[in-house]
Amino acid sequence: MSFHRPLLLAALLLCTGDLVAQSRSVATSEVFSRFAERVVKIQVVETGSAAKATIGSGFFVTGSGHLVTNYHVISKLIHDPDRYRAELVDVAGAVEAVDVLGVDVVHDLAVLGSAVRPRAFFSLGTASIAQGNRLYSLGHPEDLGLSIVEGTYNGLLPHTRHPRIHFTGSLNPGMSGGPTIAEDGRVIGINVATAGNQLSFLVPVDRAELLLGQVLTPGDRPPARTLEAVGRQLRDHQDAYLRDMFAGKTKMVDLGPYRLVTEPAPFFRCWADATRRQELPYEQVRHHCSTDDYLFIAGDQSTGVVDVEHEMISTKKLNSSQFFSLYSSVFANDNTPSGQEEHVTSWRCGTRNVRNASLPMRAVLCLRRYRKLGELYDGVLKIAVLGRDDSGLVSTLTMSGVTFENVDRLARRYLERISWR
Amino acid sequence: MAMILEVVHPTGTRTWHRLGDAPVTLGRGFANDLILDDPYVDARHARIALDETGAPQIEDLGSVNGLIANHTRLSGRVALRPGAEIRIGRTMLRIRDSDEPVSPALVDAIPAPARAAPVVPPAIQLRRRARVRATIARSARTTWARLLTVGAAAFAIALYSWAGSSERASANEALFAALGFVAIVAVWAGIWAVASRVSVQRFHFVAHMAVAAVVTLGGMAWTVAVEWLSFFFPDASLADVLSVGIGLFTLAALVAGHLSFATGFARGRRWKTGFVVAGVALSIGGLAALTEGDTFSDVPAFSGVVKPVGSEWLPTTSVEEFGSVMETLKQQVDEMAGP
Repeated sequence: MSFHRPLLLAALLLCTGDLVAQSRSVATSEVFSRFAERVVKIQVVETGSAAKATIGSGFFVTGSGHLVTNYHVISKLIHDPDRYRAELVDVAGAVEAVDVLGVDVVHDLAVLGSAVRPRAFFSLGTASIAQGNRLYSLGHPEDLGLSIVEGTYNGLLPHTRHPRIHFTGSLNPGMSGGPTIAEDGRVIGINVATAGNQLSFLVPVDRAELLLGQVLTPGDRPPARTLEAVGRQLRDHQDAYLRDMFAGKTKMVDLGPYRLVTEPAPFFRCWADATRRQELPYEQVRHHCSTDDYLFIAGDQSTGVVDVEHEMISTKKLNSSQFFSLYSSVFANDNTPSGQEEHVTSWRCGTRNVRNASLPMRAVLCLRRYRKLGELYDGVLKIAVLGRDDSGLVSTLTMSGVTFENVDRLARRYLERISWR
Repeated sequence: MAMILEVVHPTGTRTWHRLGDAPVTLGRGFANDLILDDPYVDARHARIALDETGAPQIEDLGSVNGLIANHTRLSGRVALRPGAEIRIGRTMLRIRDSDEPVSPALVDAIPAPARAAPVVPPAIQLRRRARVRATIARSARTTWARLLTVGAAAFAIALYSWAGSSERASANEALFAALGFVAIVAVWAGIWAVASRVSVQRFHFVAHMAVAAVVTLGGMAWTVAVEWLSFFFPDASLADVLSVGIGLFTLAALVAGHLSFATGFARGRRWKTGFVVAGVALSIGGLAALTEGDTFSDVPAFSGVVKPVGSEWLPTTSVEEFGSVMETLKQQVDEMAGP
């Protein structure tokens, strides 16, 4: 998955450059002095060694000590509650314990509770704002102390299933979970990720408001705060997401002699690029679809749920044995997502020669299971279309953090949809 | 029980003489029964004769340097027993038992041309020379055949490399693969040749190269066969069983083949050794794979080999049947994840 990783995924893991060197206007310093005390540093600490495991930001949203932050800031606590605890550090440097009251893994949000009774807090509410308006982001970049970053509001990202605000300001690791506000103190979004070069992303505030509402007035569905509940959120989310994928009127694309699925859903983006070089006796065309949506699952694993990649190779110069040797090496290429032993099992793969209504192919399915997240799996389906001596197609469908039913259904549909042009 | 007199000459060569009833005189003079070419030996130096019980005794005949045993000069008649060692001049005398076993004959690539006969009529001599010439010619042909085998293996390697190359300069690649193969085989055969020289006094370098080449050819044929087999029948574990079996056989054949030139082992013993070596090597590999199987990996293991086969020849399953493969995988990973 080295090729065009979803933007946000790269975002989380990347350190961006230096802090934005924008001149702070009078308004900026005013904003900072008015609202700084409402923002805290959130740190997840290993209980035994007292070592800091994660650092992020958070902000007070009620007078009774409720805070909002990102799920990924406190996810270690959810995965291993016996090993970690979370605490806040306020502007004055006072440390207070916090506990998780509810999380929304799909939108990467968490509501925390504390014994602090803040003098002032941000009230959450739907905020409307025009593109180009100035926004101020607060947080603790790289544990360097509370900072304010200026930027502009640029509307919602077009290619996501879940709304993300595009903010042109330099968010840095550690600012995750902090608020981005307008001059008057209205919260617009929650800092969540950056792709570098002042290209940053916020979760719209209304999602946080919803989660807070759930925590404050729990109805028949109490807010999720355990790993099991997180697993349930992931399953519920994907059921709607994946139900109709590759079924019915799926968009198709023609690549050489092959007709293939593309753009699995409207919020996917697809790229194509071709390699034609004089010194190579073959041509390569790639078509890749992914989404800027991501789910922070576990460890440093964040995933776009579904990812589609087609790679066609063709030749006029190689004989069939040479061509199939090349084809085999392309097919054997490993482009499966990485993983850590504490979160997932090893892969198990099964291979068959499969024939659908149109063509024969070599199909490999590799499967692994999440250890703690209930019945969730990663599945990778790799296909090599057979039947031609001068062209071949390797297609890979990657499914991350999905139920077996979804792996099974999507893999079957995917196998059925590939055909000759 | 007859006694044998072993004479180790100053040059290191050894001769043997059966001790009969008659006395034997030893010395540098030509009148002796046993003439010793040793400047430290007198013209008439010593005599070996049987005593009244029939046991041999040696006696110094008044020589300059005498007879020495255990660093002391002997005087008078001294009884000779098997194992006794006596120095005469710079020559060593050893008494041996005619019943003493000797090591089996070493196998020679060239069959012994003539069974030594004391007198050979000229006609037979001529025929025999012709036979020796024929043997030499045959062995030259054998050498050529062996070199040809190495060449065939190198060619097969080149072909394999060329068939699997998707580079522009596929011919160069093939040539380098073949040359590399020959170099590796030469080094390998060199090691065996040195071992052979130590053990059977002959290098057999070309023969060792041929053994390596034959085994390489077999191994390649097997690799290709397994690739095709697992392409046609991806679900069969037959290929695994077969590949272990053939691997064992190939390795055993390699060892046995080399041993046939490097030792005087009989065929059965060569193969036994071969299988023991192969068995040990494969079990070590198997154990490593077994422990490897338990360790975590986020890289999936699957064979990516695809082959150019007309689709009408390819046995295929339906998408529906592929579902049961997925079901099996689910059970496997569920088991790994634990309760």
